[in-house]
Amino acid sequence: MTEIISLRPLLAVLVSAVAVAPILASRGRPNLREAWTILAAVTKFGLVASMVPAVLAGDVYVTDLGAFVPGVNFALEADALGLLFGLLASLLWVVTSFYSMGYMRGLDEDHQTRYFASFAGSVSAAIGIAFAGNLLVLFVFYELLTVATYPLVTHDQTTEARAAGRKYLTYTFGGGVAVLAGTVLVYVLAGTTTFTPGGIADLATTDPTLASAAFGLLILGFGVKAALMPLHSWLPDAMVAPTPVSGLLHAVAVVKSGVFGIARVTLDVFGPDAVADLGLGIALAFVAAATLLISSVIALRQDNLKRRLAFSTVSQLSYIVLGVAVGVSVAPDRAAAYALAGGLLHIPAHAFMKLTLFFCAGAIHVETHTDDISDMAGIGRRMPLTMTAFGVASLGMAGIPLIAGFVSKYFILVGTVSSGQLLFTGALLISGVLNIAYFWPVVYTAFFESPDDGNSKPLLESPFGGDRDVATDGGHEAEHGEHGHGDGWTTAGWRGGESTWLMVAPILFAAAGSVVLGIVPDAAVFLQIVRAVVEGVTGVVL
Amino acid sequence: MSDLAPLLVALPVFGSVVALLAGLARDRVGWAVAVLTLVVQTAVAGTLMADVLGSEAIRYVVGGFTVPIGIELVVDGLSATIALLVAVVSLGVLAYARRAGPRSNAFYVIYLLLVAGLSGMSITGDIFNMYVFLEITGLTAYALVASGDGGRSAIAGLKYLLVGTVGASLFLLGIGFAYIATGTLNMGDLATQLAEVGYGSPLVLAAFGLLVVGLFVKIAVFPLHTWQPAAYAGAPDSVSAFISALVSTVAAYALIRIVFTVFGTEFLAATPLASTVLAAGAVVSIVVGSLLAVSQSELKRMLAYSSVSQFGLIVGAVAVGNVVALTGAAIHLVGHAIMKGGLFLAVGLVNDVTGARTVDEYAGLAKRSPVGAAAFSVLAVAMVGVPPAVGFVGKWYIALGAVEAGAWPLVVVIFASTLLTLAYFARVVERIYFRDSTETSGLAPTATDGGEDDAPEPVVSVGMRATVVAAAVVAVALGAVAAGYGDLLEPTIEGLLS
Repeated sequence: MTEIISLRPLLAVLVSAVAVAPILASRGRPNLREAWTILAAVTKFGLVASMVPAVLAGDVYVTDLGAFVPGVNFALEADALGLLFGLLASLLWVVTSFYSMGYMRGLDEDHQTRYFASFAGSVSAAIGIAFAGNLLVLFVFYELLTVATYPLVTHDQTTEARAAGRKYLTYTFGGGVAVLAGTVLVYVLAGTTTFTPGGIADLATTDPTLASAAFGLLILGFGVKAALMPLHSWLPDAMVAPTPVSGLLHAVAVVKSGVFGIARVTLDVFGPDAVADLGLGIALAFVAAATLLISSVIALRQDNLKRRLAFSTVSQLSYIVLGVAVGVSVAPDRAAAYALAGGLLHIPAHAFMKLTLFFCAGAIHVETHTDDISDMAGIGRRMPLTMTAFGVASLGMAGIPLIAGFVSKYFILVGTVSSGQLLFTGALLISGVLNIAYFWPVVYTAFFESPDDGNSKPLLESPFGGDRDVATDGGHEAEHGEHGHGDGWTTAGWRGGESTWLMVAPILFAAAGSVVLGIVPDAAVFLQIVRAVVEGVTGVVL
Repeated sequence: MSDLAPLLVALPVFGSVVALLAGLARDRVGWAVAVLTLVVQTAVAGTLMADVLGSEAIRYVVGGFTVPIGIELVVDGLSATIALLVAVVSLGVLAYARRAGPRSNAFYVIYLLLVAGLSGMSITGDIFNMYVFLEITGLTAYALVASGDGGRSAIAGLKYLLVGTVGASLFLLGIGFAYIATGTLNMGDLATQLAEVGYGSPLVLAAFGLLVVGLFVKIAVFPLHTWQPAAYAGAPDSVSAFISALVSTVAAYALIRIVFTVFGTEFLAATPLASTVLAAGAVVSIVVGSLLAVSQSELKRMLAYSSVSQFGLIVGAVAVGNVVALTGAAIHLVGHAIMKGGLFLAVGLVNDVTGARTVDEYAGLAKRSPVGAAAFSVLAVAMVGVPPAVGFVGKWYIALGAVEAGAWPLVVVIFASTLLTLAYFARVVERIYFRDSTETSGLAPTATDGGEDDAPEPVVSVGMRATVVAAAVVAVALGAVAAGYGDLLEPTIEGLLS
C-alpha cells in the first residue's frame, strides 16, 4: 500500500460545498441554479471515480491539512472502504439531482434554492465522512451532515415537518455527542484516532473497561444514523421531507454514514481482533438481528408508502450491520470474510434498490398525489414503467436472484452458516419472507387490483393476530368513494408518458443499477472495492 | 519591548481624557478618538502577543519600585491573549456603535475607561492592583448598562451595581486575608509565601474562598448570576455585546490567575474541597444556565443565561486544572467572546431592522433580515459546538482534559452541554427559517405606516452588518487556527501549573 499525496480527496469534498455559493447567488434563475448543481455533481463524481483504479491497485490518496487539534491532523484519505461509500454517494447524487428537478418543479415547491443549496452541502459532508482519515475528522463531517440535512427534513415548514426536524436534530446531535465522547476516549487510550486497517494497536489492551465504553459510545452514536433499534424513530418521521431527500439522504447518504461509521469503528479503529476479544461484536449482531426482524414486522402494517419504505430501510441497514458484526466477531477466516463482504456489498446494493423505490414513491406522489398504498389499486396502468421498476427493486429487496439484494444477502448467509451462527441465518431467512410480505402487496395492488375491485387488507385493517369481524368481505367497497379515482386511472403507454423524463430516467437508471449489480456483480466496480476492503482486513482473497 | 506593557492601560485612559476634553469643544468627536485609541491599542496588544507567545513572559515594574513592594505588570501568552481580545472586540463593537449608538461623548469616555480596566486586569501581576482594575471595570460597566434610554436600563444598572459591588468587596476581603497571612500583594510572591504559611491555614483558606466567590459573582456563575440577565437585557445593544464578550471573560481570566498563579496546583492538591467547589459551580452553571435559557422568551435574556452556562465550561476547566483543559479554557474564552458578542450584535441588528426582540417574533426572520438571520444561525451553530468552528475546539480540549483527569461527572456534563446548548438555540433557528412570519409588522418601530419596505433602512449601517458578519466568519475561521494557538500557549500554561 502506498500513499499518494493528492488534493483529490479534498477537492472531491469541497466541490459541492463551493457550489453552494453560486446556487444561492442564482436564486432568481432556476435553470442556471440547477446547472450549477449538475455541474458540481458530475465534477464530484468524476473526481471520486478517478481515484478508483489506483485504490483498487492498493494505493491510498491522502490530503493532510495539518493539525486540527493536538495529535490529530485534519487528514482526508481515500482508501477502499471510503471509496465504496464515496463513489456510491457521488454517483447517486448525479442521478438524484436530475430527479430533484423533476420532483421539485413538478410539485412547484417553495424554497427550492434553499433545497438545492442544502442538498449540495449534505453531499459534501457525506463525501467528507467517506474520506475522513481519522475518527475526529469523521465526527466533524458527521455533525456537518446533521446541520446540512436539517433544512431538508424541515423543508415543508409544516408543524409536522418542524416536529420531525426537532426530533431529527435531537437524535442525531445526541448521537454526535456519543461519537465525540467515544472519540475522546479512543484518543486518551491510544494517543491517536487515525484509521488503521486491522485496528489501532493497544487500544483494547490498555484498559478494557474504558475501551468497551468507547466502543459502546461510538456504536451508540453511529447507531442513531444507522437507525439501529431503539434509536430509529427519527427516520420514519423524517419521511415528511421531499422524496428525493428521503431517497438519497435517508436511504443512502445519512443512514449509510451511520453504517459506514460502524464499519470504520469495527474494522479500522478497534479492528476485528479487539472487537472479538471484547466480546462486543456478537452483542452488536444481536441488536442488528432484532432490529431487522422487528422493523420488518412494523413495515407490514404501514399504509403510507414512504413510511413502509422507511421501516424497510431500518431493516435493511441492519443487514449491513449484521454482516459486519458477524464478520468481525468470529475468527478471521473465509466465513468471516463472506459475512463482511456481504454486509459491505449491501451498502451499494440497498442504495440502488431503495433509491429506486423512493423515486417511484415520489413520482407517484407528483403525478397522482397518492401516498397511501390502499389508494394505489390499479396504478400500474397509470404508471407502468415506474411500477415495473418498483417491482424489480422490491424483488431485489426480498433477495430474489438476478437482482442486487440477492448477491449481498447470499454472502451474508454463507458467512453466518459457515461460521456456525445459525441463529442469525434464521433471522435473515425470516426477514426475507417478511420482505416479500410487505413489498408484494404494493406490486399486487398496483397491477392486479383496480379501484373498483380490490381485496381486503386484513393486515392493515385489523389488529395484529387477525380479527374475523373486520376481515370479511365488506369494508373496501365503502371506502372507494373517498379515493377519488372512481373512474379508474387513465392508461399511460410504456413510452414514458406517465411522467417527466427527469423522473422516469433516474428511476430506470437506479433500477438498472440494481439489476447490473445482481447479474454481473463482478463487472460492477462495487464488488471489486468490497473485495479489496475484505482482503485488507482479513487477508482472505474472495 | 517590555515598555509597551503599560501602554495597554495608559493608552485608553489617555484616550478617554482626550475624548472628554475634546467633547467640551465639539460634539460627536468621541467616536473618532475612540477608534484612533483602539487601533493603536490593538497594534500594541498584537505586538506584545507576537513577542510573548511561545517565549518568555515580559515583566514591567511600574515606577521603578522593585517587586514585591512595587506594582508589576506581567504579560505572558495568556494575558496577552486576553489583552488582544479586549482590544479587538472593543474595536469591533465601535464599528457597530457608530450608527447604533449610544452616540454621546460621555459614552466613549466611559467606554475607553472600561477598556483600560479590562486591559489592566489582564496584565497586572499584583493582586491589589487587580482589585483596582476590577472596580474600574465594574463602575464603568454599571454606567454603560445604565446609559440606555428608559427606566429598564437604570434598574438593570442599579442591580448590577449592588450585586457587583458585593462581589468586588468579597474579592477585596480575600485580598485582605491573604495580605494578613503573608504580608505581600505581588502574585508571584504570594504564591511562595502562601506555601510557606501552609495551605491548611484558615487565613489562606478564607482568602481562597472569598476571592473565588467574589470572582464567581463577576463571572456570573450560578447562583451568583442574578445581575447578568437584567444587565444584558437592559443595556443598549452595543453595550450588551461589549460586556457580554469581555467583562465575564476577563473575570474568568482573573479566576485562572488567582487559582493557579496565586494559589497553585499544590494548593488544589492539598485542598480537595477547593476543586470540588469549582467543579460543583461548573456543573450547576452549565445545567441550570441552559435550562433557564430554554425558558426565556426574550432573546437577550436567553443569551445572558447562555453565558452562565458557557462560563460553567470555563470554570469546569479550572476545576480540572491540567494543561489540556486550561488551554481549552483559553480557547473557549476567546471563542465565546467572539460568538457571544457577535450574537448580541446580531440580535441588536435584527431589532433595529425589524423590531423583533422575542423568540416568537423571530418567526420568518430569514425574509425580513437575511443578514442578521444568517449570522445569528452560524454563530448559534458554532456555539452549540459543531466542528470545525471554534466552539467545538474549546470544548474538545476541555473534554479531553477532563477525561485525562478522570473527572467523570464533569465529563458527562461537558458532553451533555452540547445538547443543552442545542435546546435553546434550535428553537430560535427553527423559527427564523422554518416558520412564516406571524404578520405582526405593527410591532416593528421602523414600519410605522403599512410597513412598506420601499424606503431604505437608515437605522442599519454597513458597519453594523459588516461587524456581525465578521463575527460569524471569525467564529468559524478561528477553529482552524485554534490548534496552532494552543501549541504556542502550551509553555505558558505549563509555567502556570508548575
